[in-house]
Amino acid sequence: MALLEIKNLHAEIDGKEILRGINLTINAGEVHAIMGPNGSGKSTLCHVLGGRDGYEVTQGTITFDGHDLLEMETEERAVAGMLLGFQHPVEIPGVKNIYLLKESLNAKREAQGLDEVDTFTFMKQVRELVASMDMDDAFLHRGVNAGFSGGEKKRNEILQMLLLEPKLALLDETDSGLDIDALKVVSEGINRMRGEERGIILVTHYQRLLNYVEPDFVHVLYQGKIIKSGDKSLAHRLEAEGYQEILEEAS
Amino acid sequence: MRKELPDWLKTAMPETAAAPEAIARTAREQAETLGLPGLRDEEWRWTNLRAIQRGQFSAPIGVGADIEPSIRLPLDNPLRLRFIDGVFEGVPNEIPEGLTLSALADADEDTRQAAFSPTPAPSVENPNDALVTLNTAMAREGVVIDVAANAVIERPIVIEWLDGATESVMSHPRVLVRLGQSSSATLIEHIETVGEQPSWRNSVIVSSIAANAALTHIALGLDGARRLATERTFVSLERDARYHSHNVQLGGQMIRREYDIHVGGSGAHVDLIGLMMPRGKQVLDTHTRITHAAADTTSNEHYRTIADDAGRGIFKGRILIEEDAQRIQAYQSSNNLILSDNAEIDAKPELEIYADDVSCSHGATIGRLDEEALFYLRSRGLQLDEARGLLIAGFAQEVVDEIPLVELRDWLTERVEQRLGERDTADDEKA
Ligand SMILES: Nc1ncnc2c1ncn2[C@@H]1O[C@H](COP(=O)(O)OP(=O)(O)OP(=O)(O)O)[C@@H](O)[C@H]1O
Ligand SMILES: [Mg+2]
Repeated sequence: MALLEIKNLHAEIDGKEILRGINLTINAGEVHAIMGPNGSGKSTLCHVLGGRDGYEVTQGTITFDGHDLLEMETEERAVAGMLLGFQHPVEIPGVKNIYLLKESLNAKREAQGLDEVDTFTFMKQVRELVASMDMDDAFLHRGVNAGFSGGEKKRNEILQMLLLEPKLALLDETDSGLDIDALKVVSEGINRMRGEERGIILVTHYQRLLNYVEPDFVHVLYQGKIIKSGDKSLAHRLEAEGYQEILEEAS
Repeated sequence: MRKELPDWLKTAMPETAAAPEAIARTAREQAETLGLPGLRDEEWRWTNLRAIQRGQFSAPIGVGADIEPSIRLPLDNPLRLRFIDGVFEGVPNEIPEGLTLSALADADEDTRQAAFSPTPAPSVENPNDALVTLNTAMAREGVVIDVAANAVIERPIVIEWLDGATESVMSHPRVLVRLGQSSSATLIEHIETVGEQPSWRNSVIVSSIAANAALTHIALGLDGARRLATERTFVSLERDARYHSHNVQLGGQMIRREYDIHVGGSGAHVDLIGLMMPRGKQVLDTHTRITHAAADTTSNEHYRTIADDAGRGIFKGRILIEEDAQRIQAYQSSNNLILSDNAEIDAKPELEIYADDVSCSHGATIGRLDEEALFYLRSRGLQLDEARGLLIAGFAQEVVDEIPLVELRDWLTERVEQRLGERDTADDEKA
């Protein structure tokens, strides 16, 4: 059984159709890259998968780990093992990072029928992860993403992923705007998540990330549809030739 | 149009008052002409005094019973000044050196003169001052707090306004606070309703802070379904004086609180922080007016309102910078959160600047909970209720954090969370 199966997905915002028939299957153990020009619907796809209000799915089905995803609330999707890494992580000044991390982990544990994590084990694990992301402990006690630089926000997204160990990670442009050191740290984090039982979707504009995290499949999203899929060589072609030729081929 | 003074108020006018005779007599006459402020008065556009007008309140008879507040604040050895329905219960024993506490009724003529001559003086043209005038005409009870020069009073001085102990009672207490040069003190108003009865308290605090002295003034309006209050604070600051005000309003049917602050000496600094959380049909209203009358003075104002149900929050902040007051920094922000379709918030900053070398900023925001932040928290597995609660509590926390007393701050953090918790339960009941 596929981890994620999207069939003929159509979705609109404010009556405007953005996703226009997406088919995509992701098996555990696979890394998929989704590329495509600005405005093609990549973030929209991520938001629909995350269950954000305001998007109306007009046709199609999504199955996630055996569940009918469209019947689930955002938080149910999260505790069932989906993690959405935001293109623009939200700043929440009044809520401490450490608090969110703990609540998120406990929400997942509760869904799995486990007790709350004990504080000592939790702090130890979080400190190790913080160090591995080349972040400072002080981040834990600041408001969620509040006043973080772009790169710090993206590291924070990966930190959350590493703690929550999702079955499916959907990372929307986690590599955009990172300097090379940060890109390495972020890529290492993603590679650590990679494994037999997990699926990863990388939404990206750049081959650079894919040099560090080699995808099994690359898809090109254009005007709300996947117009071409291939292996990692497709990303190299896109980088070398741009979208024009591939768009023409597809049409 | 202002409203004529209702008959029950006219007849309640006392023969003798705490104010010096000449002041009291003038005030009685003026009170009749001024009446009560009405909706057409610019300062009363959003809040009306109908509940008072119709209230048929009478002067307290003095229950004298051993009424205690039901809420315990975590304060270190406080000096309690208890008013039950506006009747002063007397000064505590063992007052620290450098502090003098006395009942207003026992004070000498000069002191009473000072208590009824606030700076800035309320002007007769301002309809707003109908309430101060009424207080002057009717005040019989009050307290005088004097801090000697160089005295540092560590123990918090707590005025306990325990309202609503008896049926439909009104009170007009007056408080005088004087800080001598280089002294410091903390004044806390613990405001609580101790009964189910409707009540109206029209209190006035007149304070003066001498050179290099510092007053911390925290007002905690904690509960009270039927409490009506019109509260006025006058503050005047001399050079290098500091005034830190924290105004928390969590309860009451209609609470109108006003601050008039006169920054009269260079180097003086004012902080005005506030949190109002109207719910049900509560109307919580704060008006502040800061006058920078001296050069090189600063003020920092930060108010937040969270309105739920059919609650109404009102904030109006006026900053006036006089012509000769150069090199002023005045910062004001008012951030407001609306949680329900029937809630309403009005926020209005007002800057009047006559000097040219000033650095001023103000901003007011009114909004709903940030949908994107909610989605973010939920995408991490948090339930909708919890995510909402966190965002609301976080919004309040940013002003709670500015309370200088650590234990009180932690206590208030919990109190606010508890209130938000009640909100969730209420929602569950509705569902
Ligand atoms: N709330 C909205 N209302 C109307 N149109 C919207 C809304 N949100 C997004 N869109 C439109 O949907 C389309 C797809 O946007 P989306 O953010 O999914 O693109 P993207 O592929 O992620 O682009 P980028 O590479 O710039 O991140 C765009 O044309 C965008 O303008
Ligand atoms: Mg995008």
